[in-house]
Amino acid sequence: MNNIEEILGQKKNEIEQIPVPDEMEVRLRSALEKRGTNPRIRQANWKVKVAVLCILALVIGWQADTLAYYGKKLLGYDSIMNGTLQELNESGKGQSINKTYTYKDGTILTLDGIMLDDNQLLAYYTIKNSHGKLDFDKISLAPVMKGIVKEYMMNSSQGIINEKETEVKYIASFDSPYFFEKHLQLVCSLGKNGADETRSISFKLDRNQAMGHTLKQKLHKSAQIDETEIYFDTIMATPTTTIIKGTLQSPLELARDQILDKRFRPNELTVELIANGKKLDWQGAGLSTNVDGMTFEQRFDALPSNLNDLKLNLVSFSSEHDVHQVFALAKGDMKQSNQIKGQQIDFKKLYTSEGNTYLTISSEESVILTKVYLIIDGEKVSLEETIQNEYDKQPDGTIIHTRTLRFTGTGQEYQLDIRRMSYSKTYNKIIDIPIK
Amino acid sequence: METALMIKKARQGDREILVQLIMKQKEDYYKLAYVYMKNPDDAMDALEEMIVIVYDNIHRLRKEEAFYSWSKTILVNCCKKMLRKKKKLVSMEGVREQVDTSPFAHKEAQIVLEQYLSHLNPKQKEAIILRYYLDLDYQGIADILKIPVGTVKSRISIGLRNLKKSMGGAQFE
Repeated sequence: MNNIEEILGQKKNEIEQIPVPDEMEVRLRSALEKRGTNPRIRQANWKVKVAVLCILALVIGWQADTLAYYGKKLLGYDSIMNGTLQELNESGKGQSINKTYTYKDGTILTLDGIMLDDNQLLAYYTIKNSHGKLDFDKISLAPVMKGIVKEYMMNSSQGIINEKETEVKYIASFDSPYFFEKHLQLVCSLGKNGADETRSISFKLDRNQAMGHTLKQKLHKSAQIDETEIYFDTIMATPTTTIIKGTLQSPLELARDQILDKRFRPNELTVELIANGKKLDWQGAGLSTNVDGMTFEQRFDALPSNLNDLKLNLVSFSSEHDVHQVFALAKGDMKQSNQIKGQQIDFKKLYTSEGNTYLTISSEESVILTKVYLIIDGEKVSLEETIQNEYDKQPDGTIIHTRTLRFTGTGQEYQLDIRRMSYSKTYNKIIDIPIK
Repeated sequence: METALMIKKARQGDREILVQLIMKQKEDYYKLAYVYMKNPDDAMDALEEMIVIVYDNIHRLRKEEAFYSWSKTILVNCCKKMLRKKKKLVSMEGVREQVDTSPFAHKEAQIVLEQYLSHLNPKQKEAIILRYYLDLDYQGIADILKIPVGTVKSRISIGLRNLKKSMGGAQFE
């Protein structure tokens, strides 16, 4: 019992360290302001009423600028916007900024506007040279969004250059800033050979124009694959994008496999998101392994507004495995078929030429021997190169990859030491997502 | 200003004083909301909802000295209402997203404990969380949850016993 109380006590220490957000007071006050005067407390006399009217006039006066920009759409970005972003832009979503900074050499940076939702912050900005062609070597392609507590790194970006090469327009995606961020700075540097001029454009986030999310729920779905059980944890759909997050291995499983030397390293997880029977455009994916385990993220286009059916398709999974198997090889032609981790790998021919040893092997296309040595008379030799790649399509559609591995040195006895290999397996498992 | 005087002013509809009253115990309010909502965003939403309800109903508060426990009860009810809307379970998972410097194995123990906690009777779990995570005493929990002190004690002791039983004892004995 004591131990449980001890763990509970440690949790308490963690909670004690959680900082109270600075904005709490402001949020409480503005919640009350929005509520208005309590109708049950009729104390407001005419003086208060006049004061309220004056304040209202002031507030509206200040807001006039914002109101004028509201609903204005961004121009010139059409060709780099996907359909979803174009629609949002057409309907005037997003926050207009229109702030400019001119660098010493006359290059002009303009932050035209932003779009913010719970998944990402999109910055629409233009770099223009008033004197002529832009020098692209000087333009940093990785701007940073700076907030109070951290810098939000760019996740992805697309740009379009005009015909005269005097102007380029970018859309850059950043992680959605923390809820308490009010002022942000777009930091962009210009220059080469270390002579950078770094400047920033600061702006105020207008949370009223943020688009929040359209669907946010826990999935609690899993699918068994050879290596592990894949958990699909959450879905967060916003007007600009849809992100699915999940787990491949918990920290405990990761530690266990590490100890048992049975670790697998994921290469690629292919997932499709199907809304109302139609595949959504895939926008990107990420895999990471750290103390929280092995987790993944898949990004898709925004969900349709009339969503009535949502499915996930686990298409395939490719990963690298520890093998640690040694195979004896005979010189000359051979027909040695091996099953390694359920994958067929054929050894076809071993020959020597000009001080090198060559081994021809074939396997299904996705199979790659990622760490392999040839043992020549007891001596371990590293792989030099892979040559003569041939791909044959089989009647059943699979592609067989035949290639020759070159190792330096020759001898009498040969063994192939396969330490690691990677392969992909197709699953096509459909998972229904009930929409709550 | 003295708390009693502040409560009087707040009862007369002074919004700024009401904000200051809550801010006097901001840690308590925020953390109470946080253990229910699990994330800063939702905790803040619950606090906003609470202050509006408190403002609308403060004229009904008979005993001024009960302001804090009364408003915290409202906060807990706001949290529960929001959780029901979101159909979220009151699990403590969110807390581990904080930077955690504790060793690997220890982190596992906490995660395991939280999983077992989420299987516990919600009322027992709530009492355990308030007692251990927020370090509230029995009377404090009784005031906020509006239940007798004896009930608080029994929920905690039965909850702990069940927790121990469900975890098999061996690892955590």
